[in-house]
Amino acid sequence: MLDGILTGLSTAFAWQNLMYVIIGCFVGTFIGMLPGLGPMTAIALMIPITYSIGADSGMILMAGVYYGAIFGGSTSSILINAPGVAGTVASSFDGYPMAKQGHAGKALAIAAYASFTGGTIGALMLMVAAPLLAEVSLSFHSADYMMLMFLGLTAIAAFSNKGQFLKAMMMTVFGLMLATIGIDPSSGTERFTFGQADLLDGVSFLLVAMATFALSEALINVIRPEQKNPGELDMGTPKIGSTKLSKAEVKELAPTVGRSSLLGFLIGVLPGAGATIASFMAYACERNLAPKALQERFGQGSMRGLAAPESANNAACTGSFVPLLTLGIPGSGTTAIMLGALIAYGIQPGPTLMQENPAVFWSVIISMYFGNIVLLILNLPLIPYFAKALTLPRAVLTVMILFFSLIGVYLVTFNTFDLFMMVGVAAIALILRLLSFPMAPLLLGFILGDMIERNYRRAVMISDGSISFLWERPLTLAIGVVAILVLLIPLKSFLSNYLRQDAKL
Amino acid sequence: MMNRELIGSTLFLLLFVCYGIYAWQIPLMPFEEYESVNSASLPKLYTVLGMVICLLAMIAEIVKAPVNKKREIKTTISWKSIRQTLLLIVLMLLYSGLLEPLGFVLATTVFLLVGFWLMGERRKKILLLASIPVVIIFWIIMTQLLGVYLAPGEFWS
Repeated sequence: MLDGILTGLSTAFAWQNLMYVIIGCFVGTFIGMLPGLGPMTAIALMIPITYSIGADSGMILMAGVYYGAIFGGSTSSILINAPGVAGTVASSFDGYPMAKQGHAGKALAIAAYASFTGGTIGALMLMVAAPLLAEVSLSFHSADYMMLMFLGLTAIAAFSNKGQFLKAMMMTVFGLMLATIGIDPSSGTERFTFGQADLLDGVSFLLVAMATFALSEALINVIRPEQKNPGELDMGTPKIGSTKLSKAEVKELAPTVGRSSLLGFLIGVLPGAGATIASFMAYACERNLAPKALQERFGQGSMRGLAAPESANNAACTGSFVPLLTLGIPGSGTTAIMLGALIAYGIQPGPTLMQENPAVFWSVIISMYFGNIVLLILNLPLIPYFAKALTLPRAVLTVMILFFSLIGVYLVTFNTFDLFMMVGVAAIALILRLLSFPMAPLLLGFILGDMIERNYRRAVMISDGSISFLWERPLTLAIGVVAILVLLIPLKSFLSNYLRQDAKL
Repeated sequence: MMNRELIGSTLFLLLFVCYGIYAWQIPLMPFEEYESVNSASLPKLYTVLGMVICLLAMIAEIVKAPVNKKREIKTTISWKSIRQTLLLIVLMLLYSGLLEPLGFVLATTVFLLVGFWLMGERRKKILLLASIPVVIIFWIIMTQLLGVYLAPGEFWS
């Protein structure tokens, strides 16, 4: 393990990788700040660039963009009450009132320090938890993997917004179906290609990621612009004010940040939970723990109310790397995109990643410390300048995103068929978004589809054509039972809601 | 009138039925025919799973429909924005088709200019500054610095 850490250290501190962390944090902060654009769009836009720079540098860049986007999302939440990322919605509850009271600088500083602490505690815990989990998961068989992936799919659907469970499941199945297009790797049979040579290799992950996130997100902002009071969005001269915190304030916030970071990390590790749930849970937890007098301040500019979700969402981002790096199962839509990118590099994430590619495994973890420092040192003084990004003409920004998405895919494939297909997929994604279908389960199903099929077929072959492997091993059975329980949670809430409504009638 | 939940489920049900029709027609290799798992097994399983989920969603929506009448589609989207979005989609399709014949520089400049115009930008300074220099700088970075090939245009070569 020590050798791995040293390899990771030397990779992470190579000058070009340090540059990628800085660039990633800057780009992530910039995109995360723009209302309507989240980390998934930011990372999707980065994929074509990472293809040319290698796996370790590419992952470092994408990780930088990820936590940069979360940090950027907090800035727009605090300054204009328009969260760029769902994970920073809770930050606007108290951050925006603080900014309105003339403490924008203090609110941004709290967000920066809390994010830094959350991210750093998360990275420390990742360093301990990831190798342990990787060691345990080395004993996993194909059947266990298949079940784990099934659990990942059900969890992301179950944790989707209220009332969206069945929609998320439909999208997951749609993603699984997309993954079956092309030549079947086991037998060489053509499936769903309709005689098109361009479809023999299947649908490219990059195309689906760019079309469902970057392109459709830009288009949905055109068809359904955010209903904001124009006065609120006037960021011409944002009054930032002092960014200094007093000793007493730091002392007051320290326990909140510690608790929320721990909670955020643990929630982030769970597949499907992610930064949004972590930030809301940390906010609710702090409000319940606060003394009665302070409880009333929540929602009106409480410093604790801002520090809690900020530390939790950054720690959760780091936590979501645990299942990705150790089991090869993404914990969120964003890590699903990263998983797709890793597979595109020819690297199979999972328990063997730590041994086979220690440079990738450890350099990503180590670069997180550096990334958090970059966010704190460089971004904090630059916030007023970043805030100017909010004044960029919408017309320019939207068309630029369309251009970078299209040319990004073209530069990787040099095939205009992919561009036509990408526009088609984006149009379908747009309709689905208008019908409130979530996109992340589709991408997760698409990425895991191939792995599920391979592991399922291998498991059936090993058990001589029988499906008894599903209950023969206690581990497989246990994961299966958890997956079924996860599926039953939304069903229970649906039934109880229905019964309550029925009683009212 | 169908609410949007029902429209979504119905569209998916149709999609899954179409997928299923093709899934049952996947030509199997001779050695696959008697195997317990073959190329068509999972597509068939996905079809059944998808259809069951769609039917569940439709039943759930019909069962709770009397309570949720408010959720019927409301026309909150303006025709102007629909037109704008459709024109942007057409513009992207045209760009995809003309990128290689016209070449990167010309096709992208026109794409950006027309795109800004469609989005309602009329200031000449912004129209020109956000398109031509961006394209030229991007072209220089790609072709001169990174050595990436960008289509010069079939019409001119």
